[in-house]
Parts: sequence; C-alpha cells; structure tokens
Amino acid sequence: MDNEIPLPPPPRIRHRAPNTPTVPSSLHKTYHQLSRFDDRSSQPSSDPALFSSDDIPASGLENYHAPAASGCRKRRYRGTWWGEMVKDSKRKRVDFKDKRLVDSGVWMGSDDSGVDSLLPSEDASIWGEELLHHSTVGRAGEVAPGEIAAGAQQRVVFRKAEESREHQLARAIVNDCLEKGQDSVDLSIGGLQQIPQGLLSPLQHLTKLPTVKEPPISEDVYSSLRPFLRMFLAGNSLSDVPGDLFDLDALRVLSLRNNRLTEIPPAIRKLTMLQEVNLAVNELRFLPWELLWLIKKGDLKHLTVRPNPLWRIDEAEISHWFSLDGAPASSPEEALTLHNYEGPAPEEAWAPIHVATGPVRLFNMEGVMVDAPPTSSTSQSSRVPSLREVSLLAFTRSPFSDLISDADMADCPGLVPSLLRQARAVRNGGGRCCSVCHRSFVIARAEWIEWWDCSVYENGLKGPRSSGEKLRPLPFRRLGCSWACVPDASR
Amino acid sequence: MDSTPGSSEYVTLVSGDGFEFIVPRSTACVSGTIRRMLDPSSRFSEAVTGRCVLENMSGLVLEKVCEYLCYNLKNKNQTNVPDMEIPPELCLELLMAADYLDT
Repeated sequence: MDNEIPLPPPPRIRHRAPNTPTVPSSLHKTYHQLSRFDDRSSQPSSDPALFSSDDIPASGLENYHAPAASGCRKRRYRGTWWGEMVKDSKRKRVDFKDKRLVDSGVWMGSDDSGVDSLLPSEDASIWGEELLHHSTVGRAGEVAPGEIAAGAQQRVVFRKAEESREHQLARAIVNDCLEKGQDSVDLSIGGLQQIPQGLLSPLQHLTKLPTVKEPPISEDVYSSLRPFLRMFLAGNSLSDVPGDLFDLDALRVLSLRNNRLTEIPPAIRKLTMLQEVNLAVNELRFLPWELLWLIKKGDLKHLTVRPNPLWRIDEAEISHWFSLDGAPASSPEEALTLHNYEGPAPEEAWAPIHVATGPVRLFNMEGVMVDAPPTSSTSQSSRVPSLREVSLLAFTRSPFSDLISDADMADCPGLVPSLLRQARAVRNGGGRCCSVCHRSFVIARAEWIEWWDCSVYENGLKGPRSSGEKLRPLPFRRLGCSWACVPDASR
Repeated sequence: MDSTPGSSEYVTLVSGDGFEFIVPRSTACVSGTIRRMLDPSSRFSEAVTGRCVLENMSGLVLEKVCEYLCYNLKNKNQTNVPDMEIPPELCLELLMAADYLDT
C-alpha cells in the first residue's frame, strides 16, 4: 500500500481558493469576455468536442459563474486531443437572441424550440406539422414574419428530400446485393408504387464474389464471376416500368408479376440476355413487338403473360390472315390451326407463328390519330422525321429535360406542353425505336397489332405444338416512326 | 411547285431580329404555314412580295429551320434517312417554331 503512487489531488479542491465572494471591480471586464464559455453550451451538439485545460481555475461546476483570476485566460481547444488546435479567440460575440434560435439537436416534450428537429419515425410528418404551427404562433412576437416563411419553406424542401420507407428498404436490398455479390435481386412485395431514378442503375456493375473452397480443387470449383442477374419486382403496385431497368444489360430473369402495368415499354429490347420474363397478373392489353424480337433473335425461352386482360383475336379487327408459309390465308380457321404433321415435329411446330395483322392506325405530327392519309401529297409518306419529332428527340436526349417544370410547359403555345410530357414519358420508359427502320423516335406515326402464336415459349419450350393444334395468338403492338414505316403489303 | 408566272423561284424568310434567308420556293413550301402564306391565290402580301417575316423566330432558330427544310426536301424519297443534329439548347425553341410552321 505504501508503494502506491499517490494520486494527484482533485483539481476542484486545489482551485477552490480563488472562488472568493469579493470580486475585484477591475475584473468585471474580463468576466464578460469569458462568460462566452457557458454560452458555448447552446451550440449545436454535433460540433467537435471542446476541451479546456484542467489546470486552470474555475473549471469546476462550483466556479461556473465565478470570474477567473486575472491574466489567467483559459486555453481552449477545438477538436480531438491528439490534433489540438487553439480556437480562434477573436470570434465575434453572437447576439443572445440569435443563439437561442440555434438548434440544440435535442428535442424535449416541453421544448417548443424543437421544431427544427426531425425524428425519422413514421408519424414525424404529422407532429412536424403541429410543431410548425406551434412555433409560428409562439415565435410570432419575436421573429419577423419573413423569417418564419423562410423557415417553413426550408422545412418543406427538407421533407421532400426524405425518401419513403419502401424506397429506403429497396435501396437497402439493392446495396446489400451489390455488397455481397448476389445476382438475385428480390424486391418483390415491397409495396413500391414507383421506382426512384438511380435505384437500379448501380446493379449494372454488380460482380459476383469469388467463392473460396477447401482443397482438393476440382474443375467445377471455378465459376464465372459474371452475374446471372435476376430481378424480382413481383407483388408491387408499379404502374410503369422504370427506364433504368432496361440499362441492366446482363439481366437474365425478370419478374413483373402482379403489378399494375398497362404497357411494357419497347425498350425491353435492350435486354438481349433475357431468358425468362413473367408479366402475369397485370393490366396489359397487348405486348410490345420487341418481346417477339427477343424470342426470335434473342435468348428468351420462357414467357409468362397469362392471365392478363389481353385483346382476344376473335373480338379484334383483323385486316390480313396468314397461313403458316406466310401466304394470305383463305379463312381465319385455316390461319388459326396448325397443319397436321406426321412423325417428328417440324421446325415450325416450335417457332412463333404469325397468324394475323390488324389494321394500321396512323397519327399526324402531333400524335393525334387521323382517319386516312391524305392521298394528295406523296411527301406525307416519306421517312423524313418532322421538325417536331427531330426537336423532341433532341429534347429527350438533352440533360435539362427534367429541369423544365409543368408550369413552364404550360406557358408554351398550342400542343407543345402535351408533346413535351409525351417526350418525357418516352424518355422515362427507356426510349422508343421504330420496329421497321430502327430509328429512335418519340411520337409514333403508325401503330398496328400483329398476332403471333408463342404457345411453345409460354410453356418454357417443354414441347412442340401437337399436330393440328388450335393456335392461341397473342397481340403484339408494333410502332412505326413514319407513314412509310407500315407493314409490308406482301406480308 | 404551283408557281404562277411572275412569282420568282426564290423566296426570302426574315427572322424577328432581321436576318434574311433566301431559299428556293420548293424548300420553303415544306412548311405548311409558309406554303399557305405563299399561295398566290391567297393574295397575302407575302405571296405578292415573296418575303415572309417570321417575327417570333430569332435568326439562330430560323437558320436551323432552313437547314431542316433542306434536309427534309433532300431526303424526301430516301429509305435510309440520316439523323439531323440539333443542339440541345435550341430544341425547345425549334419545337415551338415547328408548332407554328406546321412541319
């Protein structure tokens, strides 16, 4: 016990002496200067820690209001103790009123200055509204009205920036997949009504993590690090497909089952690696023709589209029926039945079959449907895009197409606002491409339905059509960029 | 086009800030509005003088419009139409010009 090193006396006891009730009048000035210290406590709590040297008198609680000994100014440091920096001692004294309005970061029930704090709880917006009201009433006497308005405005902006819970969850899932190198992204049953821009695009760079296996190492330990990307967006309330999705060119499996989609953007053609698509339980009345292209030229092998309120061929208007070899069919019955074959299934029993084509609907330069093309001017059926089309296309490609507000659009004359809105919708859907001449476009000038039987692909290529089978064609919508881009008269 | 004797082969398009572009009549008539302006049967002053003043367009926009009119006429019967470059800062003004000119 005797060998123990004696502890230094607690500083409080050592420095109790200067705490005298009689204060020399000459020190009043320094007192005012130094009183800044206790005002510091009203600074935001997130500031770096403030250290004071302990060997200075008046650092104890008892000496809180006591003046320091003359000539003995406290050295104050800002920041951590290992990277000390002497604080600028010539800071201007802030007005007391201003300081009171500084947010302490702590909100207490009785504290009506807590307006500025925002808890991340679910009902934050509800009581935030109340507090805002309280504060405007409470502060009205001391703060200029303009200041209140500015404060309120700031608050609104802040709340807008906050993401909804569903989006935060989805973002967390995406980030988790990116981190773990998981190529199956499951965002199903997430209650998503729309997918915010930029949520899916990081998945373009997803790479699988190499697996470490115990020896002995055999051939099958090595696996590709290229992801077999699968995206499950089933069971949400999406009403349109985000354009970001079509930039994930490594996507192999896509499920959009059980949503509220009314249309699949033609930009789906960009997903050339797709092998399986599930579009069931939506509000689709037709499919994009580009999906058929993925079947014929791409890798798509399993297409699930039923149930959907798809148009039915027996109710639709048909202008041409086709038989299997592409020649015009004499009757719908002939077009709708596969011919009888003997022995092994011929190639056409596997392939998609073009059954019929609907009438072509034409649109003018503003996207309004016209009954028949004016026969007088042949220039109308040229493939040259209109100046409206050219400028709208430039608009969709320009970086500022998002910056134009609806109010600005409303100032534009004529049909310009509706054209701009259409252009923005096309841009958000991933763009359009003419199904005849492959030119990018915004306003479709021609539209028609092609009926194709894809029953082999609907059951996942399990077997060919049987001999003499009745065909169940699906409606595929094709778009053309000019009045010259219409179905070939011969086919 | 439907030129009557006396009407010249070229017409002048004038921008709001005073730039003048002299283009063939057939080129100008790609635009529906200009075609109706220059229609001799209309007896508009434009048809008589062969000079269209487009007050609501700046010289910069009208230059691009003239470029488009030539582009349209040149590629009229082509199957492979090349793209026309539009600077992004001009696209909104061009869209409004297109709305006015009916092209």
